[in-house]
Amino acid sequence: MTIDRLRPLLLPTAFGAGLILLWQALVTIFAYPKVILPAPSDIWTVLLAELPTIWQQAVPTVRDTLAGFAIAALFGVGLASLLSFSRLLRDAIYPLIIVIQLVPKIAWTPLFIVWVGIGWQSRLTVAAFIAFFPIFIAMMAGLESTDRSLVRLCRGLTASTWRTFWLVRFPASMPYLFAGLKIGITLSVIGVIVAEFISSSEGLGFLILKAAALLRTDLILAAITVLCVVGLACYGAVHAGELAIRRWQGE
Amino acid sequence: MSSAATALRLVHPALEAAADYVVVEGVGKTYNEGTRQQVEAVAPTSFIVKAGEFVALLGPSGCGKSTLLMMVAGLDAPSRGTIAVNGRALTAPRAETGIMFQDPTLLPWKSALDNVLFPFRAADRGTPATDPAMMARAATLLDQVGLKGFHGHKPRQLSGGMRQRVAICRALVYEPDLLLMDEPFSALDAITRDEMNLVLMKMWEEHHRTALFVTHSIREAVYLADRVLVMSRRPGRIIEDIRIPFPRPRGLEIGESVEFNEICGHLRAKIQHVPH
Repeated sequence: MTIDRLRPLLLPTAFGAGLILLWQALVTIFAYPKVILPAPSDIWTVLLAELPTIWQQAVPTVRDTLAGFAIAALFGVGLASLLSFSRLLRDAIYPLIIVIQLVPKIAWTPLFIVWVGIGWQSRLTVAAFIAFFPIFIAMMAGLESTDRSLVRLCRGLTASTWRTFWLVRFPASMPYLFAGLKIGITLSVIGVIVAEFISSSEGLGFLILKAAALLRTDLILAAITVLCVVGLACYGAVHAGELAIRRWQGE
Repeated sequence: MSSAATALRLVHPALEAAADYVVVEGVGKTYNEGTRQQVEAVAPTSFIVKAGEFVALLGPSGCGKSTLLMMVAGLDAPSRGTIAVNGRALTAPRAETGIMFQDPTLLPWKSALDNVLFPFRAADRGTPATDPAMMARAATLLDQVGLKGFHGHKPRQLSGGMRQRVAICRALVYEPDLLLMDEPFSALDAITRDEMNLVLMKMWEEHHRTALFVTHSIREAVYLADRVLVMSRRPGRIIEDIRIPFPRPRGLEIGESVEFNEICGHLRAKIQHVPH
């Protein structure tokens, strides 16, 4: 039984470990140049040696990722909720947002740097901007797909629009919202890293760029490893939030 | 018309004296009026439900009986005609009407008890849902419909019949003066349906309300109602209005009686030989 429950965790872990071993073996056998592709063991060594530096650089990245995500969630949920109250606003604004969303959002990054400067503000703005769209669109879909019979029940019970929203539409859209939040948190990390590439003197993106300039491939991969852990932790936090809400909603 | 059917039209004196509670006058519904897709769902229809009377609206599927009920609920606007409830013209859903839909329509994330208390959260009814008296009332209702021990269960953990029982409690908890039911048991199997008819009958005898019940089951209509209105196929109009003479409380065994089956036979003939 325990094996069955651990299967979804064990199987990919074992497969991943297998790939890393294969990588290690191939690099060792063919004596690949370290500058092009270091062995996993080399990356591990660098990771341990440079951990204080990498952690130090991870702090601003994590901070900006979470802050950007929080802003995106606030605006995404807020705007979607607002639009669900007014047919007029919805019809006026929603198509525009869809159009803007079709433009690759990374392309806006230089513009944000011009507008809000090269500091943490621009990283935050880029992260929030990129993460906003999936969250907004998911929340919108959630609010619009609320069971019509539940809405009719509310009407029959003479519930106000606000109470119908707060008691039925909002809780009913939670599964959609969390699907959006999961994409949002992932995109928020991407936004911060890209912004750090362009304008920064700190963060994992900056570290990766600096290491690349020095041809420190091992350090780049070490930083990416930490970035993976950071991304996984952020995603895990959103997932944990979803499980908590689900348990509270009695699923 | 057979003499048996004529005899059934004898009026209960008590009901005859009661006030008109729901007055439906020339109410019709046409969808997409004035376009090529125009569909007349309900032909202009008039009927009256007296205070305290249980009326069943019986008709084949798609005859517009549910549409008619939704109009009496204020959830659908009539294309023509007027509806008055308790002497007031109906323009929007009334806070004093209890509605049961075809589906239980419970909030999946709320317990049975919280679902029963939902009407107090959805609108101001003088008392909050957390009021101990209301909570006690909701709990008593759940016990009465046989859901003792299931108060904390989520809808997902309940069977179809149990969910519809919760919906009965939710429709009764704020003591509505009018109970509207739209084929509430049509999704249930025959055995559960009989059970639910018993439960509804018991609840109705206890919480005596004016009731309008839509169904396509002849036996269900005759078992439950004081009066049965028969609707024709689309566009629906009322083609028969008969009184059901059985005294209350009624047990399921009245379904075996000759008289019961005669009435059912008469209604079936009416539904089948409707001039279009």
